[in-house]
Amino acid sequence: MVDTSVERAQAIEETLASEGFADVRRVAAGCNLVAMVEQLSPDIVIMDMSLPDRDALDGIKELTARTPRPVVMFADEQDAGFVEQAIAAGVCSYNLSDAATRDVKTIVTTAIALFDRYKRVESELEEIKGLLAQRRLIERAKAHLMHNRRMTEPEAYAWLRRRAMNSGRKIAQIAAELLKCAAPETDRTGAGESLPGEEK
Amino acid sequence: MNGRSSHSGNTSRLKIGLLRLTDSAPVIVACELGYFAEEGVQTELMVEPSWANIADKLAYGFSDAAVILPPLAFAITLGLRQPAQSLVVPFSISMGGNTVTLSRELADEVQTIALRDHVPLVNALAATLTPKPERPVFAVVHNYSTHDLLLRYWLATAGIIAGRNADLVVIPPQRMVEALQTRRVSGFCAGAPWGEMAVRAGAGTTVATSRDIWRNAPEKVFALRQDWAESHPGMLEGAVRALLRAARFCDAPENAAYTAALLSRPDYLGVDSQAILSSLPGAVPAMNRTVFHRHAATFPWRSHAQWFLGQMQRWGLLDAPAQTRTIADRIYRPDLYRRAVAATGESVPVADVKPEGAHRSTWSLDASPRPIAMDADYFCDGAVFEPSD
Repeated sequence: MVDTSVERAQAIEETLASEGFADVRRVAAGCNLVAMVEQLSPDIVIMDMSLPDRDALDGIKELTARTPRPVVMFADEQDAGFVEQAIAAGVCSYNLSDAATRDVKTIVTTAIALFDRYKRVESELEEIKGLLAQRRLIERAKAHLMHNRRMTEPEAYAWLRRRAMNSGRKIAQIAAELLKCAAPETDRTGAGESLPGEEK
Repeated sequence: MNGRSSHSGNTSRLKIGLLRLTDSAPVIVACELGYFAEEGVQTELMVEPSWANIADKLAYGFSDAAVILPPLAFAITLGLRQPAQSLVVPFSISMGGNTVTLSRELADEVQTIALRDHVPLVNALAATLTPKPERPVFAVVHNYSTHDLLLRYWLATAGIIAGRNADLVVIPPQRMVEALQTRRVSGFCAGAPWGEMAVRAGAGTTVATSRDIWRNAPEKVFALRQDWAESHPGMLEGAVRALLRAARFCDAPENAAYTAALLSRPDYLGVDSQAILSSLPGAVPAMNRTVFHRHAATFPWRSHAQWFLGQMQRWGLLDAPAQTRTIADRIYRPDLYRRAVAATGESVPVADVKPEGAHRSTWSLDASPRPIAMDADYFCDGAVFEPSD
């Protein structure tokens, strides 16, 4: 927890301790925040949004990309509207400072829940994207076989599946290899998100 | 944070995010001297404590525009830090102004070697660091910053590679003095006036500035949310004209004292006006002057964008397959600049890109209606960056 207001920090710490959050570490503003986060490996970071030290945390997001942590920001009254929108977006959690001492447990619990949901949705999305990409690869490999080897669609699929079973790999892998041999690099769009020659 | 309105009660106000930096000058001047108002643009300035706040408020649509670092504008548009928000850059704010400031003892060592062996300071720095057992730590103000890219570029010319034989950390500029004093870092790269603040506190010595790394290096830009820009085309043009006028004001040495006093107010930078003055035009010594207007400083050069994006790729901040030219064209919008200033008589560059680093002295830029007098733009290693057009 990084806070400018000692009283607020104390109140939050007491509330969290009495609500069963085992270990609250208070960190002085301006200390080596990155090293502290890496060393303590906290489940959640609570910080004052008015501190410039936020930029240091912005920097470690990437380092900790594999084990991201929810961050709760306590903001001032002027930023009320911003806080609402940020919470609605559900990516990162902002909360108003005047609510802090009373409802701190709810806020922290909500932040963790929002964060977990966000991570879950994100990983599901990645999974679906992967599946879609595989489907597209197989479709294109089939089209390639039908066009170049005069196969029917069931024949093309059977051909891919047989290869996959024989080599103990996935059909999508076989499809990718086939397309790679057939069309080396030349039709890459380079944009990263689209597959080579997708428009065909 | 500190919402301040030049006019209130209007729903379509342009909300501009700023940090406590010298490059906020044109926006503050345009607001305080009524240039925005004269163009019919109602503004609200939001002085923020961190780049993360600037970025989040743009990303969530809570501000409309900001004085921002080009690499951060790219990161926001590309969603490199969640969530993504498309930005456009119709105006460049400044050139130069950053300093590389080392702890005093390290700087003494480096300067002694540089004088003795007649080598560039960065090579002297490499020579002092090599025999030391611990990796040196340098600080920058944000992951996606001009400071990060310029410092990496400079260090690399002497074989100091961040992540291999040196570490880069992020520390807010207000904490740099303390970080030097406690030996947490050997040095830092930050915008004005923070290097000067460290020098005044007796904590550090400035050994290089932006101009020693890249002469007239582009620094901050004025970025707006694309959706706001598209729904307020008239206000966007008015804002660009007001900023152009303010840039001209800030570039005049006779206005420097006034600008410094204005910026030093507690609700803006809140630091000694003398420290700000040293980074404004007309400063003596002219070590780290920020350029706001002359040498086509306000034009959003797409070659600047391409260079930054290329450097982001070089250091793994951006995926290699990303099409830097497409991204640069999407975000940097010289067409919006030209449309806005067409009626003002301001000379506007004919091309959208120029070779970067090709000029060792003054030169003349093809512009309409009159050519623009340009200054040197070379890199410390003599490289020339040829943009794709």
